Amino acid sequence: MARPMGSVRLKKTNPVTLAIGAALCIFILYFLIGSSTPDFSASRKATAASHPLSPPTSPFRKSTGGKLKPPPVAHYDLNNVTTTPQPLENRENILLLTPMARFYPAYWDNILQLQYPHELITLGFILPKTKEGNEATRELQKRITKTQTSGPEKDRFKSIIILREDIDPPLVSQDEKERHKMKNQKIRRAAMAKARNSLLFSTLGPATSWILWLDADVVETPPTIIQDLARHDQAVMAPNCFQRFWNEEKKEMDERPYDFNNWQDSATALDMAKKMDPDDILLEGYSEMATFRTLMAYMTKDDGLLHEEMPLDGVGGAALLVKADVHRDGAMFPPFAFYNLIETEGFAKMSKRLGWQPVGLPNYKVYHYNE
Amino acid sequence: MLPFASSGSKVTPRHHVSGYSNGYPRGKTFDISPHRYQPRGTAPTHRRRTQSLVRIGIVAAILFLLLLYTFTRGSSSSSSSSVLSVFSLGLLSSGGADFQLETVRYHDLSNVQGTARGWEREERILVCVPLRDAEAHLPMFFSHLRNLTYPHHLLDLAFLVSDSKDNTLGTLTKNLEDIQAAEDEAMHFGEISIIEKDFGQVVNQDVESRHGFAAQAGRRKLMARARNWLLTAALRPYHSWVYWRDVDVETAPFTILEDLMRHNKDVIVPNVWRPLPEWLGGEQPYDLNSWQESDTALTLADTLDEDAVIVEGYAEYATYRPHLAYLRDPYGDPDVEMELDGVGGVSILAKAKVFRYGVHFPAFSFEKHAETEGFGKMARRMDLSVIGLPHYTIWHAYEPSVDDIKHMEQMKREQLAQEQAEKEKAEKAMKLKESFGDATGQWEKDKLEMQNIAVQDKKKDTAAAPAAVGNVVDKVAARQEQQEDGKT
Repeated sequence: MARPMGSVRLKKTNPVTLAIGAALCIFILYFLIGSSTPDFSASRKATAASHPLSPPTSPFRKSTGGKLKPPPVAHYDLNNVTTTPQPLENRENILLLTPMARFYPAYWDNILQLQYPHELITLGFILPKTKEGNEATRELQKRITKTQTSGPEKDRFKSIIILREDIDPPLVSQDEKERHKMKNQKIRRAAMAKARNSLLFSTLGPATSWILWLDADVVETPPTIIQDLARHDQAVMAPNCFQRFWNEEKKEMDERPYDFNNWQDSATALDMAKKMDPDDILLEGYSEMATFRTLMAYMTKDDGLLHEEMPLDGVGGAALLVKADVHRDGAMFPPFAFYNLIETEGFAKMSKRLGWQPVGLPNYKVYHYNE
Repeated sequence: MLPFASSGSKVTPRHHVSGYSNGYPRGKTFDISPHRYQPRGTAPTHRRRTQSLVRIGIVAAILFLLLLYTFTRGSSSSSSSSVLSVFSLGLLSSGGADFQLETVRYHDLSNVQGTARGWEREERILVCVPLRDAEAHLPMFFSHLRNLTYPHHLLDLAFLVSDSKDNTLGTLTKNLEDIQAAEDEAMHFGEISIIEKDFGQVVNQDVESRHGFAAQAGRRKLMARARNWLLTAALRPYHSWVYWRDVDVETAPFTILEDLMRHNKDVIVPNVWRPLPEWLGGEQPYDLNSWQESDTALTLADTLDEDAVIVEGYAEYATYRPHLAYLRDPYGDPDVEMELDGVGGVSILAKAKVFRYGVHFPAFSFEKHAETEGFGKMARRMDLSVIGLPHYTIWHAYEPSVDDIKHMEQMKREQLAQEQAEKEKAEKAMKLKESFGDATGQWEKDKLEMQNIAVQDKKKDTAAAPAAVGNVVDKVAARQEQQEDGKT
């Protein structure tokens, strides 16, 4: 209905209408604030990419409206990416990579308690496209969503990449027994190597300084593992992988060596390799194939120094801190017999060929899940 | 027939009866001043009551929503930033409120396997270009880039600028920014990364030192490192293909990506030749790194040191391998394929999964090879297909070597000398002409005159004695003889 504007209207306005207006204003303001969630610290925002087409080691800004502009010309000066014994002080970026077949909640709890700033850690996962893999992906995503959206600010990681394998699963069973059968080892480990390489080469970003390989079944590490291993300033650094178990004889919890792929070469093993077909591989931990290599798993001393080093010729992948330069130079996990070695052991050999010596810490332990 | 008959008479005048055609009531309801002041009538009490009830209801609903919202949001947001947001209306919250950070990415690698018709499946290609002191080649390279027929938004470009002393970086950046700012949206490329990394190369990049035999092994290993650094920094989980291209390619089909992709091979290379000046034969095979393995080479490899690198195209290592370059037939079918063991790096199209599985450019001696040749070897080791196209040729720019330059200087001198000689000769001829004159025209005139005389004489002959005819003929013959003498 037409009516005159001006003071007459204000005078006649019902106080209830004003109250509704005020309430609405508050409500709108609240939504304005709400839209700028979640809260990221300034450093996180500064490292965010402006376009979805960007290195996955950084988060990107989700554009909420308007047409997407063409991606900018991005400069990355790799001369300025440092890899130093003080990663924390130099705010160096870590890429934590995990090939995952099963999801262990203890694994996630363990990486959550890492005492390295989480806004400098990018996580990368690769999971097989099997029924088991789907299940693991679901559980992993559940935990990720919880941590990244509703978890405390300090727990949230810089970015997370989940990949699904394009490799046909070589074996149906991931059972301990079937998995360790010798004749299955080459096929299994070749597939494993391809998965590791796929994960590595599609996630390694231009700002990454260190890569921490951590298997999905490693459920206990010291919270300062990144700083501790980086402190040695070695190209490839392997801690010792153990497993906790219930010792029936002693009636108490005990631990035993688990990963036998950390070793120093022996003359016997080198001789055996010489006689072998170039496509065959040497394996560790099988009585049919006694190599007499010096295994780091047995070199641990109860009274030994925590940071005692030993040079290695073969490494395992359970936990491994690698300088990004090593991988950038081309060191990868050979999915074929490379000097009769495969996967992580072949990686150690390739690193050596490129002039990087792997080193192990026999007294620095991480723990494997007990199946 | 019907349309003519129906027009006019059968149309019913719909608007006449009702009279509301323009929205205003007609007839007696017409009001000259519809907007004049009318006092507000008080609404009936029952209506006022329902109104306030509705208002109270709205307020209650809003308050309820507000409470619900605050509780579900919980304590995750720190209070300080919320307060700031209230006063700045949420617009100042460092970076703007029009975006949120996305921290989780999910990719299924089985979707980026690479197929023969990638452009239809929107498959992304990573184009890798290693650069070093390449400013001079950039204009040519960008003209190629702009002309590529593969959809530009599916091409991600990655450049490695290392140890450059010229303005490669500046020129590159400017060209790329111009392209991304172009009005034509079809020109815009996808992700563009410029990666800087100096490897401290000691070897010069000029042609002579680049191709000298002694420098090869070290140079190739360094080049391999550079390629790996570029690839590892630029390869993303959404790439289906990787295309390596040298900046100094002079001529290549604009459809090269589609042409190579169509073969659907893991690794594929075209033949690479280069044009030469005429005196060098016009053209020459350029890339000798694409070859098939030979028994001679395998035997040779066994005798060499672990760190030795066999380089192709040098007399020091005679391998007798079949080279892709030498098998070219200019009129051959461009789709013919040839299996290879080593490949050259001028133009390689490979499926991204090849690199994801771990094949790279060995910066060490891998089966006695490094860089692109080692790459081919490693791909074969992992049972991937490595193919060359002998009759599909692209052309590398010709850079004259030091010997060529010397030769060309020599040729230039010779050419100049020859030109000088020709000039002198021409001048001499001119002088001769001027001093002795040209008699040809005169001869013709005389001949014509003589013929006229002869014709007249013939007419006279019909009346006069035949002896006079012989006299005239003798005269003409004598003149002709004279003419021939003059010529010799």
